[in-house]
Amino acid sequence: MYMDPKLQAAPQRSRVTVMQGMVETTDQSDVVLTTVLGSCIAACLFDPIARVGGMNHFLLAEPNSSQTNADTHYGIYLMELLINEMLKQGAAKSRMKAHIYGGGNIHKNMQPIGQRNSELAERFLNTENIIITHRDVGGSNARRVDFLAALGKARCRHVDGAAAPAAKPTPIPVKAVGDVEFF
Amino acid sequence: MEKTTKILTVDDSRSMRALLRVALLERGYDVAEAEDGVEALEWLETNSADVIITDINMPRLDGFGLIEKVRSSSRHIDRPILVLTTESSDEKKKRARDAGATGWIVKPFDPEKLAAAVRRVAH
Repeated sequence: MYMDPKLQAAPQRSRVTVMQGMVETTDQSDVVLTTVLGSCIAACLFDPIARVGGMNHFLLAEPNSSQTNADTHYGIYLMELLINEMLKQGAAKSRMKAHIYGGGNIHKNMQPIGQRNSELAERFLNTENIIITHRDVGGSNARRVDFLAALGKARCRHVDGAAAPAAKPTPIPVKAVGDVEFF
Repeated sequence: MEKTTKILTVDDSRSMRALLRVALLERGYDVAEAEDGVEALEWLETNSADVIITDINMPRLDGFGLIEKVRSSSRHIDRPILVLTTESSDEKKKRARDAGATGWIVKPFDPEKLAAAVRRVAH
């Protein structure tokens, strides 16, 4: 089969879109995790030694500092899920570093929901002693984030707020929450 | 006066230990904490809990290892152990059951369901 040498030399990168409510992780150095954020937050974590990285993407309606709040519970769960998926690929929590993106307050008349979500992510990372090496949060723009996760390299471009998806909070899957099974 | 039920929570996440602490204290339980299986075993050498709630993914000694060690010790052989985890695969549940876990609770936890599970297994 004929292969164009120029094409062969260029690294073939595959892109994985991280939808709201999802977690994606990879140990492949050519995989780009990508998403568009309005008020939503994406936490990007990576372990530079294991070369494993991942991203989540969420927006909670009313996260606050109260430990009894259902949205706070769910936010912490989505952060933990990202960490656990990375552990399965060989990452160690003690080596992880973080970027956080998003949390724009796109519409002037809206409650600062984006800001409260970025505060939740930041609070979690501080509590877990995970260093935030880069943050681009707040403001009134939307953002397009491309994260070369295994290498911990991100690009965050600001785009017009109109390009962002509407600020719809991530639904908490009520039925399955805290199901108990006795052995 | 009835003795307060004491719970040992084992989780490497400080955020998760704080959520558990608030949920259990609010419902009248006493709470002790360990950040992984090794610390839990050290604590259990000189202390006692009525129920142990443990995460699976932890450094040094994970939840499966903790359950096995607790079950092979003479002091805590009958201690109820609830696993609290983001995992829900049948394979992992089976591993926990075989190791001697009492029950399995999927995160994110609901404080009421958690308290009901603790009441059911505490003796």
